[in-house]
Amino acid sequence: MNEKEPSICEEHNYNQLFREFYEPATKYVYYKCGSLQQAEDIVQNVFIKLWKLCATVSFSKAKSYIYTACNNLFLNEVKHQKVVLKHLETISEKIDYESPDFLVEVSEFREKLKVAINNLSDKERDVFLLSRVEKKTYSDIAEITGLTVKAIERRMSKALRELRDALGKDIKI
Amino acid sequence: MPMEEHYNNDDTFLGRWIAGTLSEEERIAFEKTTAFKQFRIINAEAQNIKGPVINTEAALKKVHQETIRRRKPKRTRLWYASAAIILIIIGLTVVLNARQTYTTGIGEKQTITLADGSIINLNASSRISHKRFFWEANKQIVIWGEAYFKVVKGEGFTVKTSKGDVSVLGTEFNIKDRENLEVKCYEGRIKFMSFDEQRKTYTLTKGMQIGFIDHLADVQGFEENEPSWKRNISKFINQPLSQVLKELTYYYPITINDEAIDTTRMFTGSFIHDNLQNALQTTLVPMGVKYRKAKDSNTIILSN
Repeated sequence: MNEKEPSICEEHNYNQLFREFYEPATKYVYYKCGSLQQAEDIVQNVFIKLWKLCATVSFSKAKSYIYTACNNLFLNEVKHQKVVLKHLETISEKIDYESPDFLVEVSEFREKLKVAINNLSDKERDVFLLSRVEKKTYSDIAEITGLTVKAIERRMSKALRELRDALGKDIKI
Repeated sequence: MPMEEHYNNDDTFLGRWIAGTLSEEERIAFEKTTAFKQFRIINAEAQNIKGPVINTEAALKKVHQETIRRRKPKRTRLWYASAAIILIIIGLTVVLNARQTYTTGIGEKQTITLADGSIINLNASSRISHKRFFWEANKQIVIWGEAYFKVVKGEGFTVKTSKGDVSVLGTEFNIKDRENLEVKCYEGRIKFMSFDEQRKTYTLTKGMQIGFIDHLADVQGFEENEPSWKRNISKFINQPLSQVLKELTYYYPITINDEAIDTTRMFTGSFIHDNLQNALQTTLVPMGVKYRKAKDSNTIILSN
């Protein structure tokens, strides 16, 4: 362990990590389990554990520790259940689509998109949302999930195909 | 392969399209397809979705209740730990040095049984003390005044006097450590080691006594089976009168004014401990000394 690294046992260093990673980690767990309450509980527990282990986790390894612990706690705690993401909002800005044929009620389409995202399999949903909603690069997602970039590309492709299968008829070209 | 099929057959194709890592050729061909237009809209709409709102500060506050507040930072904990250790050391020191003291007042006598079964008869105006805890690990007794010891067999029994240590191995002896030190052995064998520079050691057996006048040791024999004070009598053989008068004050609550008489004369005789009139008579009459009690106090005034 590099001795020059800031110690997580120092309160301000711990707070810094918390402010940096609490939100993205909670969103990540939320995308996996579909309950914001449960996601917050899991991530808070991870941070409480991090405090207890503050002497053994180095500052630079904290990010990977947090996400790995989130994954483990999620797998331990969350019984497989149908995921319904209630906390997804669409920014209500009008997008000027080239295709004037896309005239299905936009708001109706957006609801259908959310349902289709909820219906994605567990493997694809979190990767898809991290990429499209959280705008994370594949290498970021690889670090968070522990997957390879190749695997992420596959999951993204599968997610898009499933979404088109579900929504293609609503997009009239 | 027609482009229409490409995104279906290549399982990373759409993923790479999103990341912008398709080859130029692949991209141009893909953008010509109908499916592309649908994927483009799905992608654009997906990017308009916002995730949940997370209140990080509220969560941090909650987590702090479980962490920072529950477990103080290391430095503070170290402080607490050091303070606790110091308190434990102080506590242990207090316990280990705690002493049990027995004191007798004027005319009082007391019998004390020690943890190992040894018995101490404490004479009047005297005091002994020993460690309250773990005394048996180091059987030391400190004495001021006079006491008779009946020590059971066992290692390391030591009595600390003003002039030296008396160490014994199961025996009976009397120590009188008042103006002068006098140790008498009534049974068995005792060892006396003086505190002076020579650290001289004397061994006394039954019927031997050692007396110190100032720093001069004087070993001699004596004939009695137990100290007379235990039978409430003080006996003197050729002792200065001053010594006898001092001794009276250990048993009777009196002050003696002896300015008018010569107290260096030698006295042989005795007095009893439970009758002041009788004691004054038996000590003063043979010496031709008159005495009277002062009106307003316990002072006895002596005259020729």
